[in-house]
Amino acid sequence: MRDLLLARWQGVLLTLVVGVATLWLAATGQLVLYIHPRYVVFTVVMTLIGVAASLAVLLWSPRADDPDDHDHADETWPTEEPGRARRRRSRPGRAALRRSLLTAGTIVVTALAVAIVALPPATLTSATATTRDVNSSTAALEGTTVDEANAAGSSAYASFSVLDWAGLLRQTSDVAFYTGKQADVTGIVTASGDDPDVFYLTRFVVTCCAVDAQPVGVPVQLPDWRDEFAVDQWVRVEGGFQTNRSAESSDPVALVPETIEQVDQPSDPYLY
Amino acid sequence: MSTTAPERPTTDHAGHEHGVRRSSRGLLVAGGVVLVLLVGLRVVTAGVGPGLLPPSLQDFVTLTISVIVESMPFVLLGIVLSIVVQVWLPQAFFESWLPRQPLLRRAVISFLGMFLPVCECGNVPLARGLVLKGFTVPESMTFLIAAPILNPITILTTHAAFGWDSGILVARLVGGFAIANLIGWLFSRHPRPDELLTGSFAAACAVADHGHATGRRVESVDLFRREMATMMPALFIGAAIAGAVQTIVPRSVLVALGSNPVWSVLAMMVLAFVISLCSNVDAFFVLPFASTFLPGSIAAFLVFGPIIDVKMLALLRTTYRPRVLAQITLVVALTSAAIGLVVNFLA
Repeated sequence: MRDLLLARWQGVLLTLVVGVATLWLAATGQLVLYIHPRYVVFTVVMTLIGVAASLAVLLWSPRADDPDDHDHADETWPTEEPGRARRRRSRPGRAALRRSLLTAGTIVVTALAVAIVALPPATLTSATATTRDVNSSTAALEGTTVDEANAAGSSAYASFSVLDWAGLLRQTSDVAFYTGKQADVTGIVTASGDDPDVFYLTRFVVTCCAVDAQPVGVPVQLPDWRDEFAVDQWVRVEGGFQTNRSAESSDPVALVPETIEQVDQPSDPYLY
Repeated sequence: MSTTAPERPTTDHAGHEHGVRRSSRGLLVAGGVVLVLLVGLRVVTAGVGPGLLPPSLQDFVTLTISVIVESMPFVLLGIVLSIVVQVWLPQAFFESWLPRQPLLRRAVISFLGMFLPVCECGNVPLARGLVLKGFTVPESMTFLIAAPILNPITILTTHAAFGWDSGILVARLVGGFAIANLIGWLFSRHPRPDELLTGSFAAACAVADHGHATGRRVESVDLFRREMATMMPALFIGAAIAGAVQTIVPRSVLVALGSNPVWSVLAMMVLAFVISLCSNVDAFFVLPFASTFLPGSIAAFLVFGPIIDVKMLALLRTTYRPRVLAQITLVVALTSAAIGLVVNFLA
């Protein structure tokens, strides 16, 4: 009976769970932790429709005696056609497998539903930056060209993001180009392999949602950085670019900090 | 009434009319209580600091929630359109103007997406609605495959990302159309197309043939309840698998293959399979890869991704049998790879 009740209302319940979580994220300005800002309005509108429809279901839905009503097991692991079902059911392992798959599915869905509404929202961490390799996918690294950077006045450099500098570093390792250009950038600390003297100041670039986030980073040369900063710490670095003196690093040029300080996570942690 | 599902213990029929009134108000109150509890839980737990979970587990959760939050509006949009198609359009709406000749009919169905611009996750409920509205099963597959690609939003975003010149947009549109009709034709050869469907969905189809006595409003909300009950667990499980794979498999494995004409195509198809993005947005995602990957592999990503990926298989599983999904996946993978290789060869 309880299974039937759950099967009947699981869709509405999960819609309300995602609906409450999404609308709360939108209200507190944190929906951008999961999706690109251009989808926020569409997402909020559709979510409101979903919550309203769920309440309408509760108000107007007929009682649970309609024949075309299925439970979870039927839907996700549907029954076989009669002949085959009988043949297969004779294999004892199959029913057990089905049951354990169903249990596992229920556990995953329940755990996720709790996670969505009860875990504090979070940005991606350097763990993902590492599996996705900082600067590996050339990402939007072509955003700012060397010529544009040269044309921009020195006041513009202060507003260059991690993404701009990472793009420039990919295009040229000529130290002369960087002379007189001061960076002022914020990002998370991500280890550069085992290098004790260089870390990547990293940001994620998002094109659609956190799923496609690409890590971009600027190498920062700071001997024994682990003594001062922990991985995943948000820091703000000001300084100029010089030849990278770390023997282990593959980056020829690195940012050498003049000031470096811990900061809070910005309200817009991803770049676009 | 409940002839199709004798195994299901249903509530007694006595006092049905009263029951609707009485239970629904109680239900709405229960729903309101649940809503308040959820909001309360959310507000209270928001104060818990981050760093509760180890980084990898935290990122798995973040990625999974991201897939759910991104897909949810499209699923809702698809279900709303599906309700419109099933409940509010006249019974003979499609029959009145669709051609009768099967090949021609499927060709026209391929372009339905131009008027129903939903991405692939929303198309699953919509395709279910179309089957209930009288489409054959192979026709529903043609729609399901063509609509996410031959779709104004997808065409606009792909054009914005790649333009006409690279051949990627043309390959995507032509490829999507060809694969959709190929699959439709292949499965139209099946002697008993109803066997392609899962037992529960076939049962729902049989039930839908009954007359509608309850009124459109009740029918609409009940359809919404049933579709959400089917789609939401599938979406959650698909998102969890997509999130887990991305947390575990290093991206560099794929990127390393980018410049080889054959391997790059396969690598991008694997990436499309894993990342489970909607067709309306995947062009922006893949654009940065265009500099390291050959154009054929980008085309293969854009053709394969909207049709088959982790999340889609979980959603499709609600409607089609596993064997059918395996067959579709194989055919789509082979044809997408062929398209990618041809584009690479021509480029």
